[in-house]
Amino acid sequence: MHAINVLLAQINPYVGDLKKNIEKHLEFIKAAPAAGAEFVIFPELSLTGYFLKDAIYDIGVNLNSEEEASVFEPLYKASLDLGISVIAGFVEKDENYNFYNSSFCISKGKIINVHRKVYLPTYGMFEELRYFKPGGGFSIFDMAGVKASILTCEDAWHLSSSYIAVNKGAEIIVVNSASPARGITEGLDKFSSINMWEELLSVIAFYYRSYVIYVNRVGFEDGIGFSGGSCIFGPTGEMDARLGYLEEGYLKVEINLDLLNNERFKTPLIRDENLNLTLKEIEGIINSK
Amino acid sequence: MKKDLPKIDEHNFPIIFKHLTYFIKDEVLKTGVNRVVLGLSGGVDSAAACYLASGALGKDNVTALLMPYKSSSKSSLEDALKVVEALGISHYIIDITKQVDGYFQAEKDGTPVNDIKIRMGNKMSRERMSILYDYSYKLKSLVLGTSNKSELLLGYGTIYGDMASALNPIGDIYKTQIYQLAKLLGIPDSIMAKPPSADLWLGQSDESELGFTYEAADSIMYLLIDKMYKPEVVVSLGYDAGIVNAVYNKIKKSQYKRRMPLIAKVSERTINIDFRYLRDWS
Repeated sequence: MHAINVLLAQINPYVGDLKKNIEKHLEFIKAAPAAGAEFVIFPELSLTGYFLKDAIYDIGVNLNSEEEASVFEPLYKASLDLGISVIAGFVEKDENYNFYNSSFCISKGKIINVHRKVYLPTYGMFEELRYFKPGGGFSIFDMAGVKASILTCEDAWHLSSSYIAVNKGAEIIVVNSASPARGITEGLDKFSSINMWEELLSVIAFYYRSYVIYVNRVGFEDGIGFSGGSCIFGPTGEMDARLGYLEEGYLKVEINLDLLNNERFKTPLIRDENLNLTLKEIEGIINSK
Repeated sequence: MKKDLPKIDEHNFPIIFKHLTYFIKDEVLKTGVNRVVLGLSGGVDSAAACYLASGALGKDNVTALLMPYKSSSKSSLEDALKVVEALGISHYIIDITKQVDGYFQAEKDGTPVNDIKIRMGNKMSRERMSILYDYSYKLKSLVLGTSNKSELLLGYGTIYGDMASALNPIGDIYKTQIYQLAKLLGIPDSIMAKPPSADLWLGQSDESELGFTYEAADSIMYLLIDKMYKPEVVVSLGYDAGIVNAVYNKIKKSQYKRRMPLIAKVSERTINIDFRYLRDWS
């Protein structure tokens, strides 16, 4: 069987406290080997908290500065010592003092991928574009021998993001998130926002014949509570496993590449995708505007 | 598309309860204390907040203050005591008659009766707030708010009185929904059965003062606020134009009650204008 084991780490980060959050990350990373996982995925901005506002200025880390990036040394070390790869979210700062809502993937003690969130919600309760610069695309990286791509929260709401990721070769789509719980629905045992997310993730998994791993945070920031419910959807669009809503915890899930390949053979939607047609249509749309 | 105010029912209650108790626990504990104090009036709102607080922090970490005035209805105190007893929380009864009457002894002359009623109502509300904040210090407890979304939106409350608190678990829940929540929380029937009243004077009734029922107002406010429909759209959906406009005007006119005081901007970085941090920042 060709499979990898992933730990979904559903945490409640300390807002604005990098050091305490690194310690919390280490606790979960250390739990991974016993749980039989080789990969740990944390939520969006897991190392910093979400509604940072002006505190973003203080908490950004420039990965190209050896001195600044050394703050993550304990994570690099744990990854190397335990043989565990880690995806975690942080505030990235570049040389020009632009800030990004970023996620890195650390493997064997090194950062192997950084995703800068592309779609920054700035409406309703969200104000990301006030502080962050959007990322420039979606990249593919090697996740224990499987091709993966990170979509951060709102990125997943744009179906073009998963379209790009899958057509670039992603077999696993990692959606790390800080999604606030909201909306009461009669007769439904979860918040409306949770329901909407689960439907979206199922659609992405089914129509892109991919594994979708959703890792959402919990806890409150100034009255806004994040819903948790981290889960995994298989390429049949079905939810394989899920953590509880509104509580910290972790869950080991298995990604079975044999099943993925089987589904992709039976329903070859990705093979049949007409990229040239899409390109032509999109050029037409852009030219007509 | 469903446009009715959603009910809190037995299906969504467990997650709402989990959410609200997590809110209390998380937001209280991160301030470094582990207790709350709240004013318990005998009404359904403070009873619901009290049940949630007890569920979140445990009965030993919740203190109720019962603060009657001489004209407060007897049943209010009895109902508040039922909550205290049912939850097994500690409580204090502090009569506020002396300080309120003492103050108005010198103020009453020449003021029209209606005005003095409102002034006394406000004073009672702020007297209670002042005692709650004193007990906040005394008991190392945060003051738990008990205003619901309906009264906060309509401005049916006293600024820096009953509207003041450190955190409020029920401020985003309409009065109609509070009753549904209260029923599922197991709050005593006598509290649920009586008509909503601030109980600031004899026979006072929320709904006769407001000029409409909470049920009518809540279904309209759900569309105006939650759904962000314009008043004319709400009217076009079949709602009474008179009530829609009355509700909308009350919401607009009371906006000041829901905000911090205005600060004249002078410097380059001003509190709450462009000095922007979460309260949880600390």
